[in-house]
Amino acid sequence: MSIVLERLTKRFGNQLVVDRVSLEVADHELFVLLGASGSGKSTVLRHIAGLVQADSGRILLHGQDVTAFTPQERGVGFVFQNYSIFRHMSVAENIEFGLKIRKMAAAERAKQRDHLLDLVGLAGLGGRYAHQLSGGQQQHVALARALAYQPKVLLLDEPFAALDVKIRGQLRRSLKQIQRQLGVTTILVTHDQEEAFELADRIGVMDRGQLIEVGAPEVLYARPQALFTATFLGAGMVLIRRKEADVAQFGSLRLPLPPDAPGEKGSRVQVLFRPEQVVLSQDAPPSGTQTVGQGMVIEQTFTGAQRRVRLRLPHLSGTRQIAPSAPFGEEGLLVDALQSSSETVTAESVWVSLRGWHMLSPPQPRVLLCQPSAGVPNGTALTRYLAHQLDASVMMLGIDANGENSDGLRNVLLERQREAELAADVRVRHGDPVEQIASEQAEVLYDLLVLPTSKRPNQLDPLVAQVLERMNRFWSTPVLIANNDHSRIKSVLICTAAGEPGKSDVRVGGRLARRLGAKVTLLYVTAEPGAVRPEARTHLERAAATLRALEVDGSVETRTAATPTEGILAEAREGNYDLVVLGSHGPQARSVFGRDDVTFQVASNTDHSLLVVPEEAL
Amino acid sequence: MRAVALETPRRRSERSAALIPVSMLVLVLLPLLLLPLAAVFIFAFRGGVSAFVNALRTPDAQFALRFSLLVAFATAVINAILGTFAAYVLSKYRFPGERPLGIVVNLPVAIPTVVVGTSLLLLWGPIGLLGRWLEPWGLQPMFTPVGVLLAHLFVTFPYMLGTLKPLLDELETTYEEAAYTIGANRWQTFRYVLLPALRGGLFTGALLTFAHSLGEFGATVLVSGNLRLRTQTAPLYIFAQFEAGNIATANAIAAVLAILSFLIFFFLLRYTGKPNERRH
Repeated sequence: MSIVLERLTKRFGNQLVVDRVSLEVADHELFVLLGASGSGKSTVLRHIAGLVQADSGRILLHGQDVTAFTPQERGVGFVFQNYSIFRHMSVAENIEFGLKIRKMAAAERAKQRDHLLDLVGLAGLGGRYAHQLSGGQQQHVALARALAYQPKVLLLDEPFAALDVKIRGQLRRSLKQIQRQLGVTTILVTHDQEEAFELADRIGVMDRGQLIEVGAPEVLYARPQALFTATFLGAGMVLIRRKEADVAQFGSLRLPLPPDAPGEKGSRVQVLFRPEQVVLSQDAPPSGTQTVGQGMVIEQTFTGAQRRVRLRLPHLSGTRQIAPSAPFGEEGLLVDALQSSSETVTAESVWVSLRGWHMLSPPQPRVLLCQPSAGVPNGTALTRYLAHQLDASVMMLGIDANGENSDGLRNVLLERQREAELAADVRVRHGDPVEQIASEQAEVLYDLLVLPTSKRPNQLDPLVAQVLERMNRFWSTPVLIANNDHSRIKSVLICTAAGEPGKSDVRVGGRLARRLGAKVTLLYVTAEPGAVRPEARTHLERAAATLRALEVDGSVETRTAATPTEGILAEAREGNYDLVVLGSHGPQARSVFGRDDVTFQVASNTDHSLLVVPEEAL
Repeated sequence: MRAVALETPRRRSERSAALIPVSMLVLVLLPLLLLPLAAVFIFAFRGGVSAFVNALRTPDAQFALRFSLLVAFATAVINAILGTFAAYVLSKYRFPGERPLGIVVNLPVAIPTVVVGTSLLLLWGPIGLLGRWLEPWGLQPMFTPVGVLLAHLFVTFPYMLGTLKPLLDELETTYEEAAYTIGANRWQTFRYVLLPALRGGLFTGALLTFAHSLGEFGATVLVSGNLRLRTQTAPLYIFAQFEAGNIATANAIAAVLAILSFLIFFFLLRYTGKPNERRH
């Protein structure tokens, strides 16, 4: 193995930028790290070069542990995105720089330099300076300079990003050819999927500091494991539902499951199909075909060799569409199909069937149960119920404020967990509770935070107040404020206003209700009796449609009250709900309203458990 | 040719419209800038060329000119080194107190030079904070050439820093990182990658420092004691001759200083103008 990374981890401040990345790159391999900007891929590369020191983890180059080495000692070749050609040195001097540092004799240096100039196709241009070269030539100089001293590995950070799109293709081929010719183990970082497909022996897909999945380009495209890979690499449609026996039944669509399909009966199944796997036909397909249904053509786009057709199909029962994410208020299913551009779809309504599909392995959601105090109730019963319903893993986080009795607290939590028969990991941190919750959340990226409170009448638990204040600024995870420890949620109240706080509360609340099998009431509060503003009506209709698409039993309730808070509190008191769902304003609104906004007022005055959904929640 | 083609009636009227403000500006600048400079040369050569040359020939004048050039040269060299070091540290390292330190090193521009002279006396002088302890050892920097040099280093320190730090800040760190990955250590990186990139700045900064040192008066007059043939710089000599009523002698030296300054200014203009021309 030329390059081995073992659980590489790096934080910048509180932000986890590289999260336990482990990777092995074989000799002579061209490995591509692919991810959106900010996914941590460049940071991984800089770790290998020694330009960044890891917080934990190991780096091995050709079997040698280089984690503690300086960049100079590592002997890797690095090509920067801006090429960083030394401007006062000629091309020849740039290439010879590494050899001069290594005190190679002048004659030998010249020979090596000419060989490299030849290799990268710049023979005769050794006397030029950076500003006399084109972008592509500069890239080749940077490449030759990095290869001059025969580096152990070659690292390239977005080497094509600064170039004109038209010449990229040609330069890619020349890079691949040079890499093949020298056989130098290479890692290339890019955000360009096409580039990754064309160059890579294997691709590693990165998202939010984690290496999500590694595989050959064809495998990652056709048979990805993770949802992120499926949607990041190319267009496609992902449907999700619970698994039954050996078929996945999405409404009328029956897909036989391979015998080794992951998950037990009742667990979630995610199915991916790509636009090129969608078949459109005028007539009903013969039986035995995997038919999705009959759809309306809503858009056709000519893209050259191919034509993209977007169709709207009726909702499939028991199914939710993950990608492409449906617009708010969209009940049906949106399907993209790729046709040869010589075929035009003239009919408005066509049959949609599949010629191929692929099962993903759905990830387990993660729940963080905060245990800031030894107080009762502690939320374990509620969390166990949620974990069971959501197939989620649970982390119990104890916070020892002054760091004096961490072991004692850990034992209390372990005991608590045994008593509640809650399968959870236990972790104890010390320091300020809010800071510690924020750190834990930033490090692991939980899907739900459960915060049991010690509720006093008409008063907000100070910790809850702090968490609410920070949540929009620092995390986009819903927070469940557990004012009681009920182990059953069958009735959910979603409080909505016209567009404000927003849509994420309906989406997240609706999805939770779907998983819990709960019924949902949508509440709209108005100051004047009977007056529902037109935009509010539209919003309510869309919210109801979103719930119908989730197949949640939902109804709409309108209340008249002086303030939204009063209306919400009255409805919650009278309606016998198990959970109240509220949106949360963005950070700007929070700074304007302070603790006087609806979320704070409701949180201070209700005895119900409260799910607060930040606007950015997915 | 193109200019002729563009010469439309409108442009011509624009040009005549410019006549009034331009001549007004020249009229204002004449007594403020241009005439005083001319006066120096007129007075210097009033007694003819021979009187001018004789004025420069006196041992005092010779010493003052040579001493000034020597001090200016030493100041430029020492501050080039110190300024480069300061710019490197301030640009490349992040540390608590970075901002206050950045302000302090630029302070000499804002402090009146007389105040600088006073502070140096209060520190190094015979009854000064440090000078008090040095006196018994026979070390007394004030009223010696060393004192003059100290004052000039102080007063001109920000010029070098001011030209180099922006250059270092602007140079992307990837150039250094590239040198590191190639195998160059910190010193080699500085020597082969950073320093060549600073060449232009070093030249500009050194000329600026030299020019300011050549003309320095306020701090010098206090710390030098104005001792002829020992610590008397050219500006001090001019002042002394003026006070003694030897206006022609004073003007001869003043003319030499003015010519030197013109030369330096000319170099600066050419050198800093160059990259702009290349860009166009």
